[in-house]
Amino acid sequence: MKFDRRLFVNFDWTLLFLVLAVSLIGLINIYSSGVNQAYSGQDFLYMKQVQWIIVGLVFMIMAFSIDYRLISRYAYLIYAFSILLLVVVFFYGYATRGSQRWILVGGFTFQPSELVKLTLILVLARYFDDHRIHKAYRLRELFIPVLIMLVPFLLILKQPDLGTALVLFIIFCSVTLFIGVQWKSLTWAALTGLLLIPMGWYFLKDYQKERIMTFFNPDSDPLGAGYHVIQSIIAIGSGGFVGKGFLKGTQTQLRFLPERHTDFIFSVFAEEWGFLGGIFLLVMFMALILWGLKIALHSRDFNGTLISVGITALIFWEVFINIGMVLGMLPVVGIPLPFLSYGGSSMVILMISIGLLMNISMRRFILQP
Amino acid sequence: MTTESKKWLRFRLATLLLCFLVLFIALITRAFQIQVLNGQSLKVRADRQHTTTLRSESERGIVFDRNGEKLAASIMADSVCADPSKVVNLEETARKIASILDLDQGTILKKFSGSKNFCWIARKITPDQAALVEKVDLDGIFLIKEPKRFYPNGELAGHLIGFVGLDAKGLEGLELKYDDYLKGAPEKLTWTRDAKGKRLYPRVEYAGGQPKESTNLILTIDNRIQHLVESQLKEAVKAKGAKGGLAVVMDPKTGEILALANELGFDPNTFSKSGAAKGKNKVITDCFDPGSTFKPFLAAGALEEGVVKETDRFYCENGKYAIADRVIHEAQRKRHGYLAFSDIIKYSSNIGSVKVSERLGKEKFYQYITKFGFGAKTGIDLPGETAGLLRPVQNWTRVDAATIAFGQGISVTAIQLITALSAIANQGVLMKPYIVRGLVDKKGQIVKKYAPTPVRQVISPRTAKRLTAIMTSVVGDADGTGKNARIVNVNVAGKTGTSQKFDFARRAYSSERVRTSFMGFFPAEDPQVAILVILDEPQRDKWGGVASAPVFKNIAEQILTCFKTNIRENPVFEEEKINRDMKIKLVSAVPVITRHKAAPGDMEEASMPDFRGMTIRDALRKAREKGIELNVSGNGWAVSQVPAPGVAIAELRYCTVSFSTGN
Repeated sequence: MKFDRRLFVNFDWTLLFLVLAVSLIGLINIYSSGVNQAYSGQDFLYMKQVQWIIVGLVFMIMAFSIDYRLISRYAYLIYAFSILLLVVVFFYGYATRGSQRWILVGGFTFQPSELVKLTLILVLARYFDDHRIHKAYRLRELFIPVLIMLVPFLLILKQPDLGTALVLFIIFCSVTLFIGVQWKSLTWAALTGLLLIPMGWYFLKDYQKERIMTFFNPDSDPLGAGYHVIQSIIAIGSGGFVGKGFLKGTQTQLRFLPERHTDFIFSVFAEEWGFLGGIFLLVMFMALILWGLKIALHSRDFNGTLISVGITALIFWEVFINIGMVLGMLPVVGIPLPFLSYGGSSMVILMISIGLLMNISMRRFILQP
Repeated sequence: MTTESKKWLRFRLATLLLCFLVLFIALITRAFQIQVLNGQSLKVRADRQHTTTLRSESERGIVFDRNGEKLAASIMADSVCADPSKVVNLEETARKIASILDLDQGTILKKFSGSKNFCWIARKITPDQAALVEKVDLDGIFLIKEPKRFYPNGELAGHLIGFVGLDAKGLEGLELKYDDYLKGAPEKLTWTRDAKGKRLYPRVEYAGGQPKESTNLILTIDNRIQHLVESQLKEAVKAKGAKGGLAVVMDPKTGEILALANELGFDPNTFSKSGAAKGKNKVITDCFDPGSTFKPFLAAGALEEGVVKETDRFYCENGKYAIADRVIHEAQRKRHGYLAFSDIIKYSSNIGSVKVSERLGKEKFYQYITKFGFGAKTGIDLPGETAGLLRPVQNWTRVDAATIAFGQGISVTAIQLITALSAIANQGVLMKPYIVRGLVDKKGQIVKKYAPTPVRQVISPRTAKRLTAIMTSVVGDADGTGKNARIVNVNVAGKTGTSQKFDFARRAYSSERVRTSFMGFFPAEDPQVAILVILDEPQRDKWGGVASAPVFKNIAEQILTCFKTNIRENPVFEEEKINRDMKIKLVSAVPVITRHKAAPGDMEEASMPDFRGMTIRDALRKAREKGIELNVSGNGWAVSQVPAPGVAIAELRYCTVSFSTGN
């Protein structure tokens, strides 16, 4: 591959800065969530997270080094590979806490559903770029994209992992709505969706139903299903306007808050840094999203725009659902907070996504057929 | 890309951004609601989650007599509590504990199920039981030290001191009256706990800001006088077959109560067994017809008003004097002809008294009665005082005016009687009786002192002197009614009294059931001590002069032997001398409990360090530094220790520390 000087000149330093800043906040936060006042000890999860950030950065470099058009050329293949991994998970997956989500690769566990989020974006971008009609899509024309989404959606739902499946669906909706769907088709789709909800309820696992029920009435079972949300709200609320200070979050440190370093990491942050800290974090995310949309706007081709939109939507929705969930606005579905929640797969995939955004950003001026 | 598609793209992206922004603002609004609007209440909720508190009583103040002798103190007693979550076998544990503590197994099981992490099983058990509980060493059962009230002298001054309930609240007597001073702020033990409720490290806090320390009381009571009064009274009640008796010793010049006894006695240590009703202090609560002891007050009024002289002669009608529908007799059906005014008192002539009162006039008589303090509370610092019964003079019939002259038809309390007598002894100045000289804190510093309070000048000093002379003849003359109270070489002024009890069944005064009394003071020249002795329904010697006067004599003689008439040998409140004052030193020599929150400087070498909150290892290290031998029981964090932190450790350098992992 020929090195172009302009690639370096146009490198997106702002994006890198934003991602590193948010990841650093996440790291500090994971450190705090690991401190236990009662044992006066510390677990070393934050060290692992450092490793994952480094691994993620390596993958990020790989992701922006290879021209995204080349990657896009193999989008279907990559998609097929990720579906294969999901199938492997289906048969040979490693299960914890009642759901089979991981595969073991050389001592590490990897979560293919995280990968699918990205490959779905890639394959949708490729498909819509290939089949571009310069007007709103009709339902019939969306048959194949729906199918593309539905295969991993169902596989993940079966694991079961309602949250990730929902994220796939939402990404699909975001991308499709972005390119435009006819109002009539949209109405039909919405009506069908409404009809499918009761059916979907039937297929949900008991614990999933419970979570949704407790969302509507968390105090019905404060020590059971509602415990997570109630504890989260207590932790966040007790932080107040300015927070309790670093390492001083009692609810976190004394282990009242469940899933501290993963899904409920924002509660840890909001307890210790308060409303002000929360606003700051949200502003950082907003900047990231704004930047992603800016890249989409300036992308040299439509494919790049769609990939950028997809990735930005992915980050936005994960942030929104996660924080909405810990604030008790949304039902508890296991979705990590991007760059803050502990987790290798999520971090690496997010770093690759950011790499792709950089990829698109730095190649926006290279005019090549 | 064409300009048109660029425009389209810009629009779509802007729409998308707008959606995202709206949703983000929703998040921020929600965060604002939780953190800023509800922040405070959620913080309270969080605090409630991660802290547990246990109130433990702080040590109650000590009650000392005027010489620094302890009359009421607190000792540490064990209480059994349980952490049901740690109890391995509920049934088995309940059975074992029940057998040791003599409780019902079912009640214990109920207590277990009633609480998750903490419940009391039994409060303030005996040391033997505590040792047994310690020995069986059941999981989830542990002991906490709590202060328990203890009255070292048992019955001594029991009625006066009163008693406290289980929760260290004063229920009767001084314990009730001075409860606010005696009780300190309860100590609040706060633990931080984690979600499992397990790991906790106690840190001791106090309820609200500066902890309020309990104060010690110093009474006007003299332990020694109290003791001899009680024993004399007890003996007399037994000897005369009386139902009961009262005795009060007062310093007439100050109003200080030196001793106050009720018979039958009352041991506040066992108030729950003997019944609280027995703890009633009859000296201030019960009123009775004073009988002849009331005559001096009539005489005082008559002398003061100048209507009579000592030598004025009154015709005593030979023992029968009809007023309206009633015939007044002399006591013991004596017959007197003409009697000098002073002899009316000396022989205690009823008819003579009636004549005197007629000359004084009922309005004037009433005025002097009230001036001597009858019909109103004396204001003594004890709870439950009654005012007695004095009808307004407008309602007096002629008979009333006549009988009140010899103490019938009026009700007084013993404290009123001795206070009024003291006014005669104190040159006519009525003093307010009191029982607490002052309050001192744990370090022996005076917090508050109570000075003698003059109420009013009732009669002139000259009248008081004249009256004293008459009353001295009551005791000193061979034919006086109070001759049995005579003491060699000391002039005693006094007056006997025998009042018939009103029989409510027959609606008449009974001649069988009487109250015999004797009141007096000495030395007549410069009165130092006033004593009142009352025996209730003696079966033998139903006359004040024979029943009560000897008791007075015995008490007075013993006081004179002990104190050589100078009982005010303990000037407690002369500030500059406070540190050199032996008696005050005694007060502060009590093991001073300095709370562990005291500055580190206060914890000198010679005081017990505070182990609470330490791990076994830390406690052992600390103990080694201080050269203290440590007895460890339990494991986890130290929750209690004996001796308490801050206690001076002289030769015996050892400490038992209890540890616990749970709450």
